[in-house]
Amino acid sequence: MISDRELDAGQRFLLACKGWWTTTLYSRVREEYVKRAGEADAAHSVSDVAAIVEDLTVYRYFSWLERHLQRMKYSGRYGLARYYDERRENVLGRLNAGEADGMLELRPDIKLPNYYTSVDIHQHPGGVWSDDVAGFVYEHGARTTTPLLGEAHKNLHVRLAELVAAEGEPSRVLDLGCGFGKSTLPIAERFPGSRVEGIDFSAPCLRLAAGTAKQAGVANVRYRQADAADTGFPDASFDLVTSTMLLHELPPKAVERVLSEAERVLQPGGRMVHLDFYYFPDAFARFMHYGHGRRNNEPFMQPVAELELPQLMRRHGFTDVKIVPFREADDLGPERTDTWRFPWTVISGRKPDSPEA
Amino acid sequence: MPEAARDRPEEQVFFDDPAIDALLGVVMALAMEHYVLRDRLRAMEEQLVRAGQVDRSALAAAPASAGADDQRDAAAFVEDLLRPILGIQEASGAGGRFSLKRKA
Repeated sequence: MISDRELDAGQRFLLACKGWWTTTLYSRVREEYVKRAGEADAAHSVSDVAAIVEDLTVYRYFSWLERHLQRMKYSGRYGLARYYDERRENVLGRLNAGEADGMLELRPDIKLPNYYTSVDIHQHPGGVWSDDVAGFVYEHGARTTTPLLGEAHKNLHVRLAELVAAEGEPSRVLDLGCGFGKSTLPIAERFPGSRVEGIDFSAPCLRLAAGTAKQAGVANVRYRQADAADTGFPDASFDLVTSTMLLHELPPKAVERVLSEAERVLQPGGRMVHLDFYYFPDAFARFMHYGHGRRNNEPFMQPVAELELPQLMRRHGFTDVKIVPFREADDLGPERTDTWRFPWTVISGRKPDSPEA
Repeated sequence: MPEAARDRPEEQVFFDDPAIDALLGVVMALAMEHYVLRDRLRAMEEQLVRAGQVDRSALAAAPASAGADDQRDAAAFVEDLLRPILGIQEASGAGGRFSLKRKA
């Protein structure tokens, strides 16, 4: 069994590699592209960028490292999968999931769609759903998803909660694809007077989410195993529906079903807010994002980024549709070309008020 | 883990010769192992200086939180390890490939 110290050192090494990749190596690839593209870059498509960049040796190293640093995070001797596999009794024993307190409702008979089970998302062996310790593995892995944020990675969700708060306090919230509750808990804490429901396909993640909420003493949140496209809640049950990093994991048809379901469960005048990846400052950023999807085992990143989301949202009954770039930190936004970053975007809309209102 | 028993697709390829992809994997595994050992050695040295003896349980305990010094140390190590990828000479001279093959 590897020790905590060894795991810590191995993961620290990977995070340092990712930091170098994010800044030094990314900048170098971008410089090479700009040098070759010249004035033409403003008119470039993704395939124009690919024609210039894909044969660059520096880009091949960039791609290799993106793929394999992620592999090493989860797999191999110092990988998180093995670490939690070796400690499963211990970590599962410590988990006080709150089933008895009504905070958690699991449905062992739930049917998981093929798109969800056929790919090991994020290169997490077995995905985030098939192993009892998968929630712990995922939670640990997600700490280093945004390397420039370092320990402040959780602030991202707090920032989203603040954006929501700026438009009024919700009373009934549904967080779709909530995972282990990383997005749900900050919402529940920001709006203590609200009642928050988090739903997800993954039982191991939901157990961890409920355990974490219980440990934090947050009582206004409840987790349920359900499909974001078929939540099981009655019509008009919520005044806010949210998701964080969910849409890009769904095939386009499922995105439409989720929009339709969100419209159904929202009260008239209710809001829908998704934090996802959609706004691209240029074709180079889009090219990098599509490659990331492929290398990180997220096959719907490209098709979802290519959807005409505003039209789709309007077709599914939403108004006040907004697509706004999101800053994950004060100094990190779409203007930064010297560092790799996710194309964070807030995608929001409102269900129209009822005609008599 | 019975790796071969699992039916999984072939790994993605990024270089013209997949041998480079594989070799890089070997190098990175070695680098990681090296860093882990280095970290362990550092811990042992700290112990020896402090107490004059090795405390096994303390060696195995993770730091309460990864401090800025720890992260800087990892970053410096990585800077040296990955710098060759930039492909720039450290001392100026002839560049590129060369061959002593007879021209046809």
